[in-house]
Amino acid sequence: MAKQHANWSPYDNNGGSCVAIAGADYCVIAADTRMSSGYNILTRDYSKTCKLADKAVLASSGFQADVKALQKQLAARHLIYQHQHNKQMSCPAMAQLLSNTLYYKRFFPYYAFNVLGGLDNEGKGCVFTYDAVGSYERVGYSSQGSGSTLIIPFLDNQLKSPSPLLLPAQDAVTPLSESEAVDLVKTCFASATERDIYTGDRLEIVILNADGIRREFMELRKD
Amino acid sequence: MDLNMDLNAPHSMGTTIIGVTYNGGVVLGADSRTSTGMYVANRASDKITQLTDNVYVCRSGSAADSQVVSDYVRYFLHQHTIQLGQPATVKVAANLVRLLSYNNKNLQTGLIVGGWDKYEGGKIYGIPLGGTIIEQPFTIGGSGSSYLYGFFDQAWKEGMTKEEAEQLVVKAVSLAIARDGASGGVVRTVIINSEGVTRNFYPGDTLPLWHEELEPQNSLLDILNTPSPEPMTM
Amino acid sequence: MSSPAFEIPPKGGFSFDLCRRNEMIAKKGVNPPSFRKTGTTIVGLIFQDGVILGADTRATEGPIVCDKNCEKIHYMAPNIYCCGAGTAADTEAVTDMVSSQLQLHRYHTGRESRVVTALTLLKRHLFNYQGYVQAALVLGGVDCTGPHLHTIYPHGSTDTLPFATMGSGSLAAMAVFESKYREGLTRDEGVQLVSEAICSGVFNDLGSGSNVDVCVITKGHKEYLRNHLLPNPRTYVSSKGFSFPKKTEVLLTKITPLKEKVVVIEGGDAMEE
Repeated sequence: MAKQHANWSPYDNNGGSCVAIAGADYCVIAADTRMSSGYNILTRDYSKTCKLADKAVLASSGFQADVKALQKQLAARHLIYQHQHNKQMSCPAMAQLLSNTLYYKRFFPYYAFNVLGGLDNEGKGCVFTYDAVGSYERVGYSSQGSGSTLIIPFLDNQLKSPSPLLLPAQDAVTPLSESEAVDLVKTCFASATERDIYTGDRLEIVILNADGIRREFMELRKD
Repeated sequence: MDLNMDLNAPHSMGTTIIGVTYNGGVVLGADSRTSTGMYVANRASDKITQLTDNVYVCRSGSAADSQVVSDYVRYFLHQHTIQLGQPATVKVAANLVRLLSYNNKNLQTGLIVGGWDKYEGGKIYGIPLGGTIIEQPFTIGGSGSSYLYGFFDQAWKEGMTKEEAEQLVVKAVSLAIARDGASGGVVRTVIINSEGVTRNFYPGDTLPLWHEELEPQNSLLDILNTPSPEPMTM
Repeated sequence: MSSPAFEIPPKGGFSFDLCRRNEMIAKKGVNPPSFRKTGTTIVGLIFQDGVILGADTRATEGPIVCDKNCEKIHYMAPNIYCCGAGTAADTEAVTDMVSSQLQLHRYHTGRESRVVTALTLLKRHLFNYQGYVQAALVLGGVDCTGPHLHTIYPHGSTDTLPFATMGSGSLAAMAVFESKYREGLTRDEGVQLVSEAICSGVFNDLGSGSNVDVCVITKGHKEYLRNHLLPNPRTYVSSKGFSFPKKTEVLLTKITPLKEKVVVIEGGDAMEE
């Protein structure tokens, strides 16, 4: 809770969970739509996802004001990029830009926990996961936000990824089909909602593949 | 939004309590608001508690502490009444309250003891925080009392009638309710004299409206449905 | 509560030294283990022939739900029940303790327990512990003097009310009561209103959730409606189900008999000084 006076804090935590899964030719990015503060629900219908480029979608939880400021900054930088290069930014490029943008505020960070999902230049699914000050990594799947501690172990069990230390570097994409990945994401959120008080209301799933971008919704528990 | 909804916040009575003597007895008065931080936990509480047939006490400060003090004093007075074979005096009641308040300095409660006995008639004793005891013709207490000192200096008269005294008490509590955020709800009065005890209750929507106060509304919709004032024409 | 300006030597009673030690080390950054809290909605109201109590069934530990279907309406006596909010261990312990005291009192007197007796025992215990026993209670029951409903705060203060709410969802539930409660409700109207108040807490307060428990107490009769409403079923179950196949891998299976490795001397010399 943002408080006044002596114990005032510039940050609030508005909760929520994000998940992204990369496949051979698709990427699934999902987040719940609950926004809360303390024990209060501020809204049951707030989208945590943001389409940054044609093939890059960002899902962020944390402090909504910082998330909004971050998205605005990235949108502006992407617009400049389009003017200069006359093309959309690729997802790996956007990933580096996001990292730089976060690190720029190293000593007054954006209180935002991001997962960036999209398709790379070869059309393969890619997921980038971040901390609040810009450390990032390309992975096969990731989860961030209030329910991440519940979701990550489940994903680890279902989609064991190759070690990033292996040489030659292995593809981080998961072996699932697109529909299997969507099913897995739905299960993740239904389960996280059972045990995390900040996750719930509705699930928004964004699916990126060769055909373009598609959205799906699923109801979650509302308590 | 910070509502101070900490369950650990002590449950306290930001209060207006009053005791007034008149020719023949006393009138005690109180509002009815009990709050935890910013939340009104009880809007119709009874802060005028019976100690014996002829002695009552007005409670302010920590609800838990004031209830414990009055529970103990009631118990002691009942014992005392049985041993004595006659009703306890107001002075005895007030001194028991003082004794507990004085010996237990951690008690966060200010009390006003009032009643009638055959030896001294109507008497009011104020017992503020540390266990001081003051016998006065009238006493005010609680957070709302700071709005009332001037009013009482002006309005209190020696030798009022019962009706005058009660009207003064109701007026004073309603004034304090209007200005003090921690006081509110209804006004309760207790009149004690040689005849016995009378309890009166004045609902919040029947109290007089003071400076810039709004009419009581049953529903916000009533305000919304009232025709808006005519737009100003040039 | 502001502490007095000077220290007064204790005159017996409870020692709160450890509580103050805990506060001090917490201030220095060593945090105690988290307790299971019932961030809760609990309510009660008086209807035409008795008392109705209600509660949600969620127990939380910080942001995590640690019990999705716990019981918050505790038994005190056959004619008295008590809803608890606050630290789960405290509400459980204090209600269990007082219910056993009431049982002994019934054996002693041979009479039905009164609600005020339970109230006094509870408030006395809570006042003794100066708010450190974190139990906020809604106590309801019907005895020889009629139906009674009380709220008890952790510091030991009590209120007597026709309708009451407690816990983190108390504001949401009170909003329902303040707009819809009236005197002389029927049983069904009462249960409906209590359920609505609990649902208001369940859906609008993150500390409350899952199901609705209701307890109706009338003269000489009670009805404990466990899971009266189940408004929050799981929303998605994968049609194919999941397997969790990766067990601990068995690297080798070989039994090494211990006797081959150890020389056992039979009938050795007796030990001497």
